[in-house]
Amino acid sequence: MTSTPVLERPASPEGRRPRRVRRTTPRSTLTRGAGLGLGIAMLWFSILVLLPLSAVVAAAAEGGWGRYLSVLQNDQTWAAVTLTVSQAVLVTLVNVVVGTVIAWVLVRDRFWGKRALDVVIDVPFALPTIVAGLVLLSLYGPNSPLGLHWAFTPNAVTLALAFVTLPFIVRTVQPVLEELETDVEEAAASLGAKRSTIFRRIILPSLVPAITAGAALSFARAISEYGSLVLLSGNKPYETEVVSVRVLTFIENGNTASAAALASVMLAIALVVIVLLDVLQRRVSRRG
Amino acid sequence: MSIEVSGLTKKFGDFVALDDVSVSLPTGQLTALLGPSGGGKSTLLRIIAGLDTADSGTVSIEGVDATGLPAQKRNVGFVFQHYAVFKHMTVAKNVAFGLEIRKRPKAEIAHRVEELLELVHLSQFSHRLPSQLSGGQRQRMALARALAVEPSVLLLDEPFGALDAKVRKELRDWLRRLHDEVHVTTVFVTHDQEEALEVADEIVVINEGRVEQVGSPDQLYDEPANDFVMGFLGEVTTLGGVVLRPHDIEVALQPGLAGAVRGTVTRVLRVGFEVRVTVRTGDGDPTAVSAQASPETTVVLTRTHARQLGLDAGTQVWLTPASGATTVSSMAPAGRRAAVTSGV
Ligand SMILES: Nc1ncnc2c1ncn2[C@@H]1O[C@H](COP(=O)(O)OP(=O)(O)OP(=O)(O)O)[C@@H](O)[C@H]1O
Ligand SMILES: [Mg+2]
Repeated sequence: MTSTPVLERPASPEGRRPRRVRRTTPRSTLTRGAGLGLGIAMLWFSILVLLPLSAVVAAAAEGGWGRYLSVLQNDQTWAAVTLTVSQAVLVTLVNVVVGTVIAWVLVRDRFWGKRALDVVIDVPFALPTIVAGLVLLSLYGPNSPLGLHWAFTPNAVTLALAFVTLPFIVRTVQPVLEELETDVEEAAASLGAKRSTIFRRIILPSLVPAITAGAALSFARAISEYGSLVLLSGNKPYETEVVSVRVLTFIENGNTASAAALASVMLAIALVVIVLLDVLQRRVSRRG
Repeated sequence: MSIEVSGLTKKFGDFVALDDVSVSLPTGQLTALLGPSGGGKSTLLRIIAGLDTADSGTVSIEGVDATGLPAQKRNVGFVFQHYAVFKHMTVAKNVAFGLEIRKRPKAEIAHRVEELLELVHLSQFSHRLPSQLSGGQRQRMALARALAVEPSVLLLDEPFGALDAKVRKELRDWLRRLHDEVHVTTVFVTHDQEEALEVADEIVVINEGRVEQVGSPDQLYDEPANDFVMGFLGEVTTLGGVVLRPHDIEVALQPGLAGAVRGTVTRVLRVGFEVRVTVRTGDGDPTAVSAQASPETTVVLTRTHARQLGLDAGTQVWLTPASGATTVSSMAPAGRRAAVTSGV
């Protein structure tokens, strides 16, 4: 097995077929039907997303850079931004791990109550967020049956965000895991790879696109969460007040321009995170 | 003996996939596991590789008892029907995988990968992703990946099953030549008897979870152990209670030989250079519905011979098995008989 015997070339497909002449890249591959589809998609996207977003950015930009600076230099606002972003990052990281584990368990393991768990995962989606806040308040509030008085502390923010963002990664990873072919893992095993190596080098790279997609959704939802937080966090300035609550305060005080400025800052943060996740995904899923 | 399997039994629920299978596969040979779909070939191969566990019985590889060993420790190369490529890795990375697991030095890995890609004629594709390869190329890559770790045995589960007929034939010939060069003990599963007869040194015929016969292609073809093996390796017909090949029947226009079976030609069909003649034997009433009442025998003749005899529908003929014909008694249980007809 150590020698390199030279064999006759098989008349393999690539041997017979002359290398395809490289065509110049066509300017567009759209057929008429696809063009129509793209048109509808763009129109819909513009009306629903681009237009309102540009309106916010335009409103914020009216005040010029000065407005942004004054909004961000406000300590209370800055505290809300850092709290929101750090909590969103934290729960997203937790979800990446826990969500993947739950998806794994739901797909690969067999146990009693699996179907029930599969349904229950969606409850945070199904529940109106204010109800979610109420549920959490009864558990962790002043009359906590668990003895955990987490309401009105930063822990409450983590808890509420983790609750409402749980399903994202589970639901994006689960179908991908279901579609993975087990013979690929068996091939790796017969080549000598341990379970942990198979997971890290074979399974994980296939899951990374789904995990990052779920993470983007989870992060986006976390920085915009309002309903489940208003009751639970107590909205204490500098401590538990999140951006969405801060924006509402600006609006209630008639300070729409500041609200718009803060909104466009969050928009920028969301964009940066989504782009970062995309870059990360391309890196990791290519490495193996 | 490189692989010794003894008393393997495997059940899926109530279904017996392998029923007390024992077989020894010699070192350095190319062995085919041949049998109809659902016969248990893949199950046997997967148990040898450690990808499945048997309910009872033992497997030993190169003299080492491997029954309790996990797949990782068996040093077995496995090639899957649907390639099982690591789709996020380049061709070179795929091939290098087993060596990286074994923590070989980088330079050695690079050298070995280059060697193997040369061997499977994929050198110019080393930086491609598997999705940019044809099916045949993917399977050759999978083969290189399995060979990279210098396995003591190479197991292939219908390696060319997903390819079109022409590529399959090319790769089959190529596998034979590859084996002649590298001499690793190889077992491949197929349900194509032509593939097995053409490529293998030794054939193990498996049906309904049991080994029907083990032997060289010639042995199997010339001395089939039973009517199942006979039927699975080529076309068969029955004449007077024996199963034999349609071209092993002598046709006479007079009752010359003792034991000749009288019959009436019902159909003459010309296929290329041969003529297939259907003869109703016995004194069956032509209007009888049951096949038993008027058994039919198929005879294959050369066109010249048929013309000499002047065979036509209605001609009276006397049939005898040719001298030296391979025959097997057709007195087998009904279930097995059904398997014969489906195997043809
Ligand atoms: N995981 C499983 N669960 C239940 N039954 C199984 C399982 N794997 C195989 N079987 C059954 O065991 C029998 C043998 O299967 P096996 O895959 O070994 O057949 P095979 O000879 O490889 O057939 P083919 O040529 O179609 O691949 C089949 O009847 C199949 O239905
Ligand atoms: Mg099979």
